[in-house]
Amino acid sequence: MPGLTVVGRRFAGRLTSVCLVAAILVLLPLFANSYQLSTLIVSMVFLLPALGLNLILGYTGMLSLAQMGFFGVGGYTSALLAMHFGTPFWLNFLAALVVPALVAIPLAIPALRLRHTSFVMCTIAFVFILDSASKNWVSLTRGDMGLSSVPRPRLGLWSGGYVVHTTAGYYYLGLFLCALAVAALIAIVRSPAGRYMVAIREDETLAASVGGRTWHYRLAAFVLSAAFAGAGGSYYVHYITVISPTVFDPSYTNTVLVVVLGGGVGTISGPILGGVVFVALSEALRVAPELRMVIYGLILTTSVFAFPKGLIGPLFALWRRMLPSRERGSHAG
Amino acid sequence: MPAEPKLALSLRGIRMNFGPIVAIAGVDLDVAAGKICGLIGPNGSGKSTLFDCCTGLVRPTAGRVLAGATDITGWGMARIARRERLFRSFQKAVVFRAMTAEDNLVLAGQMAAFSTLASTFSFGPIARRRVRELRVRAGELLERVGLAHMRYSKAGEMSFGQQKLLQFASMLMPEPRIILLDEPFAGINPVLIERIVENIRVVNRESGVTFVIVEHNIDVLRDLTHRLVVLSRGSILADGDPDDVIRDPRVVEAYLAG
Amino acid sequence: MLQNILTDGLVIGSVYALVSVGMTLILGVLGQINFAHGEYYMAGAFAAWWGIDRLGLSYIESIPLALLIVAAISLVIGYVVMQRLVDVSFDAGIIATLGISLLLQNTATLLFGGTYQTFDGGWLEPVRVLGEDIAQQRVLIFLITLVVFGGLEWLVRKSPLGRQMRAVSQNIECCHVLGVDVRRVVLITFVLGTTLAALSGVMTGPIVMNVYGGMGEAITLKSFAVIVMGGMGNISGTLLAGWVLGIMESLVAAYVGLQFRDAVAFALLVLVLMWRPAGFFSTKARY
Repeated sequence: MPGLTVVGRRFAGRLTSVCLVAAILVLLPLFANSYQLSTLIVSMVFLLPALGLNLILGYTGMLSLAQMGFFGVGGYTSALLAMHFGTPFWLNFLAALVVPALVAIPLAIPALRLRHTSFVMCTIAFVFILDSASKNWVSLTRGDMGLSSVPRPRLGLWSGGYVVHTTAGYYYLGLFLCALAVAALIAIVRSPAGRYMVAIREDETLAASVGGRTWHYRLAAFVLSAAFAGAGGSYYVHYITVISPTVFDPSYTNTVLVVVLGGGVGTISGPILGGVVFVALSEALRVAPELRMVIYGLILTTSVFAFPKGLIGPLFALWRRMLPSRERGSHAG
Repeated sequence: MPAEPKLALSLRGIRMNFGPIVAIAGVDLDVAAGKICGLIGPNGSGKSTLFDCCTGLVRPTAGRVLAGATDITGWGMARIARRERLFRSFQKAVVFRAMTAEDNLVLAGQMAAFSTLASTFSFGPIARRRVRELRVRAGELLERVGLAHMRYSKAGEMSFGQQKLLQFASMLMPEPRIILLDEPFAGINPVLIERIVENIRVVNRESGVTFVIVEHNIDVLRDLTHRLVVLSRGSILADGDPDDVIRDPRVVEAYLAG
Repeated sequence: MLQNILTDGLVIGSVYALVSVGMTLILGVLGQINFAHGEYYMAGAFAAWWGIDRLGLSYIESIPLALLIVAAISLVIGYVVMQRLVDVSFDAGIIATLGISLLLQNTATLLFGGTYQTFDGGWLEPVRVLGEDIAQQRVLIFLITLVVFGGLEWLVRKSPLGRQMRAVSQNIECCHVLGVDVRRVVLITFVLGTTLAALSGVMTGPIVMNVYGGMGEAITLKSFAVIVMGGMGNISGTLLAGWVLGIMESLVAAYVGLQFRDAVAFALLVLVLMWRPAGFFSTKARY
């Protein structure tokens, strides 16, 4: 298109591909059956915490294995509000963002002083602590039995409103929430703060030397990623209408890790791809849970050597080769 | 606007011990504002350590560091950079390799442009305008150091010399008052050296930025600096006019012996 | 009975120490935490069980079999994966070993089913020690642990391999100059460390009796607590720390509640990490 600048052309190219994908996603329920849609729903459940993990690991460079702990906190929060107060979904969802974020703060403050492996171990300890809390605070969480008959999401402003009860309904709700989450992540990543987080990941001393308080940004990244995880928990709990301490199982954490690392850490489309390929696909193919974990294990181990940028790496390289040479910039998705 | 203090940087009785090793054995130094001061000395004389003490990377075992009239001893690096606009280059890992040259500069400038944590998250029109201004400024600086053609290239793909230029440019972004350069000319070709030298002169003349430069390349420093300080075995051996200092027999001996 | 609790704690602490010392050796030499470490403990127990249950071996025959099997497995893993983690970031090491952990756990479950298998072997008749009846197996565990640790101290301090291990843990660049084959030392240390974990599993099988794919998971995290407490690379420290953990677990289980037993390791871990905020891990160990 003559007359457009290079940047404009690249933007238009990306815009069309995004619109195309969006159109496909919106129209999908017309072609896909209920089972296929539900596999996508599951991958969306994992996509939300994956986006958060991507923020803290991919962009800020901290490996936190506490994501699913906050996922659980968000899920329990959302469920309890709905069960005890009958609140509409938007309120439960919002609470599922705020409460994990608040819980994350006192946990993060001591943990962020730790380096490397100690930090990772500490985040594992968090999940364990939250797991214990949910098992032992029986009056609130009903302990090991968990909560059941969690109300379905009520899409109303205060009272009344449409109650989601079909697979297609959950699918569209998930699309909406994921779109919000992706938009939020893009906004964070493209902001000066996001740029600074990448700087921290690259070289923390250098980042400090330009005058930023690195500790604050790392805390912010941790807290924000907890909010993303909580969002996933809320969507999850209203979909399957039960929640129990099994949500703190390592298998959930491992799944999110695979989605991010296998898909493409440090990019936005990476986890999306990862969620579709690793979660939806294994659901659709009805892969046995143990076999799925073996595959996840292989993916994790090989991703360190063979695909450090995840699946999205080679795909991006392919895309870039299809663009005219002047438009090959540095911006990863 | 408050008057610029006459002394940009003052070191009082700085001592730095690493266990039994005495890296700096008592240094008193006053750097006048708006001057270019060179710091030379044989290997192991403690030059980089002195920088580390000034910039908060390391806390001196004894002594005080003052930026202007403010005591910055024990301050962290980020705080020194932010409050006193004192910046320092590094010998080695010089740039953010995964970011473009332009982003490197924008990053260097943004921490001064956005004062609070929350403001860096905003994507409203004010924030975007500030970032746009930063980008414009980055472009100008890149032009000045002759890296305009690498604006959108990843810093990791640049040559070592270009990275050093980029690092130098990024220190000019946040409107610095004092710049400490740690071996800025090491390992790069004479053309690039000349470019950096020119830029140092211009920035010093136009904006009154104080420079302290640690270097081994004495020839360059002789013409560039107003004053040369020689460090040997953790103490100041000589201090004064570059030509005089270079000819000082004690200095010659220290270099031959050290 | 306090004495019972203490001896129980010493025995279980010996189990932890035996597993953990492998992890600390590997950490010292490779600079990475082996997140799959507990799985080798599990593999040892499983391999011995398999020898007894499927091959009809006696317990004492199953021990060398199990150790050989696990050594073989860890040789392959060490060669293909662990050696390559020498120059890699700590993140990558965690993820790679996490992947191995998933692999091992779930392969075991796939091969032998998800239910608990019963370990049928070992010397469980009690013997009288210091006025108390203790199962022979438990005494054996305690004694073997002491022997192993004694052997390790000798190995690290006096043997050529030990010198190489110390060299690698302190300064890898120097090693290249001095002609120490870093990768080989890493491989040997890895196989040694994991086989010790397997030994612990084989010895403990008769006592815990339930063998299943996930039994190593908690062990990994408890091992981390032990090495953090004991001081990285510190062999005798690991032994003491293991005993401390074992005794504390016993005390808590008896006086506070059985369900809090596993939490002790975590609590200790968090406490120690908080007291030493700089963390325990530089790339240099002190042997």
